[in-house]
Amino acid sequence: MRLETKLGLFNGLSKLLLVVLGVLLIPPVVQRVAVVHTDERLQEKKQEVLNLIARDGLTTFLREEHDETYADYNILKQEYITITPLGPNNGSGATTERIFEEPRQVGKEVEDFRILSCEVPLGATKGDTATRRYRLEIGSSLGTVELLTDTLRSLALWVLVAGAALTVFTDAAFAHYSLRPLRELISRKLRGIRQPGEFSFERLHTDTTDFRRLDDSLSALMRQLQASFDKEREFMSNVSHELLTPTSILQSRFENMLQDPTLPEPHARQIVESQRTLYRLRNTVRTLLLIANIENDQYLRDASVSLRQTVADVAEELDDRRQQREISLHVDLSPDYVVPQANATLLHTLLRNLLSNALKYNHEGGQVRVLGRPRLEGGYQLRVEDDGPGIAPDNVPLLFDRFRRFHATGPKAPEGYGLGLPIAQTIAQFHKAELRAESELGKGTAFVVDFAA
Amino acid sequence: MHVLLVEDEKSLHQEVKQFLQQAQYLVDSAYTFTEASEKLYVNSYDFVLLDLGLPGGDGLELLRESRRSEKQEASFIILTARGDLDDRIKGLDLGADDYLPKPFSLLELTSRMQAITRRKFGLKRSEIVFGDGFVMDVTARTVRHGAPDSPEVPLTKKEFDLLNYLLLHKGRVLTRLQLGEHLWGNVLEDDSDSNYIDVHIKNVRKKLAQFGSADFIETVRGIGYRAV
Repeated sequence: MRLETKLGLFNGLSKLLLVVLGVLLIPPVVQRVAVVHTDERLQEKKQEVLNLIARDGLTTFLREEHDETYADYNILKQEYITITPLGPNNGSGATTERIFEEPRQVGKEVEDFRILSCEVPLGATKGDTATRRYRLEIGSSLGTVELLTDTLRSLALWVLVAGAALTVFTDAAFAHYSLRPLRELISRKLRGIRQPGEFSFERLHTDTTDFRRLDDSLSALMRQLQASFDKEREFMSNVSHELLTPTSILQSRFENMLQDPTLPEPHARQIVESQRTLYRLRNTVRTLLLIANIENDQYLRDASVSLRQTVADVAEELDDRRQQREISLHVDLSPDYVVPQANATLLHTLLRNLLSNALKYNHEGGQVRVLGRPRLEGGYQLRVEDDGPGIAPDNVPLLFDRFRRFHATGPKAPEGYGLGLPIAQTIAQFHKAELRAESELGKGTAFVVDFAA
Repeated sequence: MHVLLVEDEKSLHQEVKQFLQQAQYLVDSAYTFTEASEKLYVNSYDFVLLDLGLPGGDGLELLRESRRSEKQEASFIILTARGDLDDRIKGLDLGADDYLPKPFSLLELTSRMQAITRRKFGLKRSEIVFGDGFVMDVTARTVRHGAPDSPEVPLTKKEFDLLNYLLLHKGRVLTRLQLGEHLWGNVLEDDSDSNYIDVHIKNVRKKLAQFGSADFIETVRGIGYRAV
């Protein structure tokens, strides 16, 4: 998953969590605060009422019509005060005070009230000593509190949702903007790079220190890599040139010596043997030079080459040795594939090496199959299959190793694949294709070239 | 045939010169750019065998110069260890007649020279008579025994090339490697390929024997084959 997607997801989820928490937590807290606030106000009211009674006497409040009960409501019926005389026998001496919630009927409606209730000794008139105990209740309607809580809840919800949505978008936009250099680094500089030479050393436009550093270190590493690649190639190419000249001299000298009619036969044989040795040396040097030249981009990639045509050419070239070993050839490329930006000579060499191996490591009377099919994921796949003895799984990875010849075991084991496969692989890479081997002991080997789409 | 050999590597120069002289070529030597330039200005040659990496200048410059001058009609064969495709294209564009990457076989060199000569003098029908009355038409690529209207010996392309090469170097022993290199060119193969030569020779002999005597192809034990 991309970093930006991850950041966006995390951002969205954390905002969602915040909204949920807010919606769940804010209303109870508000309610609690409101209740505490109400309680305080009730206490204040109580004190106020007691003060009024102490100043004016109870009688100003009492109305006889309701059994000596005084009650007063404000017009919106949100608060009330009742003073009820208590019987002498249920006086308890101590002033008990409680705050609770209870429904009360006020007028015709029943509403939840927060009620402060206490028993107080009060004098009937001003200056009287407290003779009788009364129950004083001050109530405040909870309707307002609930209304407030509801309002707050929906308000909190909307503010949080809107805020979250807004910040999610701005955060995503900012992440998108600030991660742009990283994106660029990956898509423009790193994607599709097969060798350091293809890396773009153009500096990344960014003021983010981390990316700046990343880009700089990558560039530095690539430069280093490139330098050592160059050195290796230069070395290979120089060494090859230096080796080719003495090889040349020796080859010519052997040829001249063989022309001498007075040369005794044992000597002639030795020279032929030396010639073979020299030939091997020469091939190795030429192979290294060829690989170095391909890797140094000394070859042009300016032709469109039909695989069907190339296979036909190679097959014709190898026809003699195929018939000598009575091997049948089955070619089925449906449809044909035209390799874009290709080098015809190199592709010919690639196919020649594969087909020649398939003939060489086949049993007499066997079959070689060249099959070409488009790949599901795009591109094209070319398979060269033989009925040979196969290659042990351990040896398969060594096939393409430039400096390693493996020796297969078993009856009629091939002497080794030599340098043909490393060349084939280098050529495949040059054409942005991948060469690999699939093999099963006793069944045969398939060399597969996957051309990229 | 007058040949100018331009090659700065002394040992190689000597070997090539010796081989060409044995093959009845008249060989002039140049070891540096200046030397070669002077000789090209003064003399006229049939062939210039040109090494590209010369002390004192680029061999290709010599080719360019000669192609500008009217009187030098030599055929140029480029010999180089650079092995670069680029050089090859440049050389052939500038009018080189052939190109041999080092190390090359001297036999291959002389047969290329013969081929160029044939081309140059427009030999429409170049025939080689061999054995007990076989005739090879190099242009039409046919081999017959006796009269021109007699049936063709049915040789494959490679078999024909093999026979042709043996006949071109009549009297010389050719090793399997030399024959193989001629047949399959500059393709990188290991020496197990030389076994194919034996099979090819066997087939050529068998096919020729149906028309006449194939005894002219001699096996030189441990070395190779020779046409006499």
